Amino acid sequence: MTSIPMPASAGSKTARADMPLIVEAAPRSVSVQAKDLALGFGSATILSDLNLDVRKGEITALIGPTGSGKTTFLRSLNRMNDKVAKHWHQGDVLLEGASIYAPGVQLMALRRRVGMVFQRPNPFPMSIAGNILAGVKAHRIASKDHYRDIVEARLREVGLWDAVSNRLNSSPFSLSGGQQQLLCLARALAIGPEVLLLDEPTSSLDPVTTENIEAMVRTLVPALTIVIVTHNLGQARRISDRTVFFYQGKMVESGETSQVFEDPKEPETARYVTGRMG
Amino acid sequence: MALTTRQAPAAQASIRQPKGRGPLAWLPAISRKSASNRSLLRYVAGLAALLPALALAGIIVILANKAWPAVRVNGVSFLWRSAWAPGNTYGNPVKTDGVLHPVGVAYGALPLIVGTLASSGIAVVFAVPLSIGAALAVVEKLPRRASYVVGMFLELLAGIPSVVFGLWGILTFGPVLSRDVYPAVASIMPKVPILRFFRGDTGYGEGLMTAGLVLAVMIVPIVAATTRDLLRQVPALQKEGAAALGMNEWEVVRKVSIPWVRAGIIGASVLGLARALGETMAIAMVSGSLLGTMPANLYGKMGTIASTIVQQLDGAFSDGTGFAVKTLAEFALLLAVITLLTNIAARFLVRKVSTTALPVGRGV
Repeated sequence: MTSIPMPASAGSKTARADMPLIVEAAPRSVSVQAKDLALGFGSATILSDLNLDVRKGEITALIGPTGSGKTTFLRSLNRMNDKVAKHWHQGDVLLEGASIYAPGVQLMALRRRVGMVFQRPNPFPMSIAGNILAGVKAHRIASKDHYRDIVEARLREVGLWDAVSNRLNSSPFSLSGGQQQLLCLARALAIGPEVLLLDEPTSSLDPVTTENIEAMVRTLVPALTIVIVTHNLGQARRISDRTVFFYQGKMVESGETSQVFEDPKEPETARYVTGRMG
Repeated sequence: MALTTRQAPAAQASIRQPKGRGPLAWLPAISRKSASNRSLLRYVAGLAALLPALALAGIIVILANKAWPAVRVNGVSFLWRSAWAPGNTYGNPVKTDGVLHPVGVAYGALPLIVGTLASSGIAVVFAVPLSIGAALAVVEKLPRRASYVVGMFLELLAGIPSVVFGLWGILTFGPVLSRDVYPAVASIMPKVPILRFFRGDTGYGEGLMTAGLVLAVMIVPIVAATTRDLLRQVPALQKEGAAALGMNEWEVVRKVSIPWVRAGIIGASVLGLARALGETMAIAMVSGSLLGTMPANLYGKMGTIASTIVQQLDGAFSDGTGFAVKTLAEFALLLAVITLLTNIAARFLVRKVSTTALPVGRGV
C-alpha cells in the first residue's frame, strides 16, 4: 500500500546485505531500539539475542509462528511483562535513546508514551465517552471543559463518531466487536502516545472490519510509530513498512516488507512467508 | 482357520447395521429417546423451580394465619408504637374483635424495627468496605500462598456458630469498646442536634453499636468471600488494558475491577444484610434486650425482632390466651416482610447497575 519515502541507502540491496541494521538506520529516525535483549519467565527463555531498531513514523510488523516470542517482545516495549510472575529480562530497550528499564523510569509515564491495543477488544465497564477519557483522566491531560471535544475528536479520528454520537453515555458492550476495537484504539490514541503497540488487533474481527481498521491505522503514520504483531501475513504485507520475522525465540530477519516477503534472505523466512511453515 | 470362522459371527453382531436403511438409520431412535428424557427433565426441573416459590408462599401464609388475630387487636398503629405490655395474664381475659387476650396488652414494633434496621445498617456500613478491601488484598496484592491462607481463614470465620460470636461480643468485644472506644467517640461528637445520637451514656458494652459491630464481623466472611470470587472473574484483558493506559494499581481497581463486578458486590452485600437482619443468637446476647423503648443513643440497649422473638417465646407461652405467641408470629411476619422488601430493593438496584455497566458479551 502506501510507502513512506526513505533514505536511498536504506532501500538499496547492497547496503542491506553488507551492513548490520544498527549502522543502516540513522539514529534520529529510530524510535525504539532493542539491545541484546533477552526475555523469559522463570527458567524458560522466550527470546534472546535481539537487536532491533524500530523506525520512527513507520509501521513495523512482527511476524512468526505461535511461540516465536513476538508478542512477548511487543509487551516488553511498554513493560507489560513486569507483572507476569517470574519475568526477567537482560539487555535493554531504548525509547528515543533512553532506557525504559532505567531505575527512575515511571511506568505510568512510559505507558503514556507507548500505547497498546490488545488481541480482543477490552472496553472498560463505563460509558463510551468514559472509555475515551479513562486515560485522559488518569494522566490529567485535559480539564473538564475539554472532555467533550476530546471525545468527539478521537471518535472522529477512528471513524466511530457517526455510529456512537447519539449514545456516548451508554455502555460500550452494546457495540459490535469491530466498533469496540476502534473504541479501544481511540482510547489509546487519546493520551497522545508516540509509539502504538498493536497485538494482533484484528484477530477477532471479520475481514471487512479488519480492512477498516487497517486503513485507519495507515492514517496514523508518520505521526506515530506503530509496531504490530500479526498472524495475518496479508495484513503485514498490506500495512507495514518493515517486517521482522521471529522464529523460535530469535529474530531471523528484518527488512523492508516487500523484501522480506518477495526476496527473503533466510530459508526459514522463505518457508514461513510462502506458507510452507506456520 | 477354524478359529477365524468361529469368531466371525460375533464380530459381525457387534457392528450395528440396521437392514436396508444405511449406516445412520439409528440416529432418529436416539433423538426420540432424548425427547422423552427432555420432557422428564422438564417436569423435574419445573417442580424444582417451583419449590422455592411454594416454600416462601407457604411460610408467609402460615405465619399470616397464626398472626392474624394479633394483627386485628394490635392494629396498624402496631408499626409505629413503642410499647411492650403483655397485660395481666393472671386476670380474666377479655375479647376484642372476637380475639381473646389478657387485660392491658399493648405491643408496638417501632423500637424493634429500628433496632433491626439500625444494627444491620451499621453492620453493612462497616463490613462492606472491609470486605472489599480484604477481597482486593487476597486477589490483587498478596502472594499466592498468603492469599490462600487468608482465604482459608475467611471461610473458617464464616463457619463459626453465631453463639460463639455472641459470647465473644458480650465478654470481650463489648466491654473493650465501651471502655476504650465509645467514650472517646462520644466526647468528640459536636453538640449538634443531629449528632445527639452519638453522644451521651456509652453503657457497658451491651447495645446497638456493639450489636452492629458484632454483626459486621459475622458478615465480613460472607461478603468478602463472594467479592473475592467475583474479583477473580474480572478478565485479565481488561485489567491489562487499564494498566497499558498508564493507570496505577489503585486506578485499575477503582475504574475497572470494582465497576466490573459492581452488581455482584451489591448482591453480596444484600446477602450479608439478610444474614444480619435475621441474626438471632449473637444479638440476643449483646443487644441488652430492651423492650418497648427506643434505644437512648448509638450505644444504648436495644432489641431486634429476631432476638426478641427468641427471648420472649418462653414467656409468651405463659399467656393462657395464646395472644403473646400470636403477637410474636406477627413480629416474625414483619421480619419476613422486611427481609423480602430488602431483597426486592436490592434486585432493582442490581438491575439498574447491571444494565448500565455489565457486558452483554456481544462481539467479544
